[in-house]
Amino acid sequence: MTASPDAPADGNAWSVVDNLRVRPYAVAGGRTRSRHSDALRLETVLEPGTGQPPDQLLPEAQHIIALCATRRRSIAELAGTLGQPVPVVQILVSDLLDTETLLIPASVFTEDRASLEAVLVGLKKKWGHAES
Amino acid sequence: MPNRRSSDPAGVSAAARKIVVAGGFGVGKTTFIGAVSEITPLTTEERMTEASVPTDSLEGVESKNTTTVALDFGRITFDSGLELFLFGTPGQPRFLPIWDRLSYGAIGAVILVDTRRLGTSFAAVDHFEKRRLPFVVAINEFDDAERYSESEIRHALSLDADVPVISCDARRDYSAGWVLITLVEHALTTPLVLDVHP
Repeated sequence: MTASPDAPADGNAWSVVDNLRVRPYAVAGGRTRSRHSDALRLETVLEPGTGQPPDQLLPEAQHIIALCATRRRSIAELAGTLGQPVPVVQILVSDLLDTETLLIPASVFTEDRASLEAVLVGLKKKWGHAES
Repeated sequence: MPNRRSSDPAGVSAAARKIVVAGGFGVGKTTFIGAVSEITPLTTEERMTEASVPTDSLEGVESKNTTTVALDFGRITFDSGLELFLFGTPGQPRFLPIWDRLSYGAIGAVILVDTRRLGTSFAAVDHFEKRRLPFVVAINEFDDAERYSESEIRHALSLDADVPVISCDARRDYSAGWVLITLVEHALTTPLVLDVHP
């Protein structure tokens, strides 16, 4: 693999109608729902785990592992980068969770005020001088 | 320099929050997200089951429709390690289930508005009001669009007095960034409502 894992995989693949029906189904091994579907929300982030990846990985799964190796990534980001629909990525990730190749870090999403304030501080640092 | 490591050993620095960017087709959601996101906005498709519309058709197997919804995704990572995820969702009311899923736990929503097609924003305003999710209305200033005053927009969308209405140029990072700042400030002044889980 020469390209950076971050390079979107043929971003417009899904505008090609021919691909639309067949390919996701094939990538997902004929499955339409993952065991971990409920845990894998769009914003769920994945980190590398300690488990060995399963044998005979699909290129898409290898790509996911490569992406998560450099930083944690959300399901939405993985799907967008791979050019695959979210349900397909959920299924691929689900397999990698089973083998603990990936893991979902605990308590990434918070709803507390402290994180809200931290977001504000971060945003203001970048763009707070725009007006005012 | 990392300013948020003290309180929590696992680190607020490792936390992530999300903001929803809603708006009708062509209103500039992708542009808006692209202006502030550190990655090129990614578009992906989520599947949604639509309630079947009762018809007298013979298409029995198709009575339960799944539809795909195009979503935009962007992210901002702050120095502290804290991440902000941006989700752009289409504005049509039929995508309501997706809004619900994305809104859960979100800081709030930016409703991006094109004054030439204000009507496409009604559903979003309605929805986020009902869910009591903090939101701001950001008017994307298209060059050829007629300018309306803030109060005209406020009136047309029947907005509560406390909902911020701001103009922006979705192509400019500082302008889109200012919209996000306004939203977060607004969210901080909004009493926390304990949402029911979806």
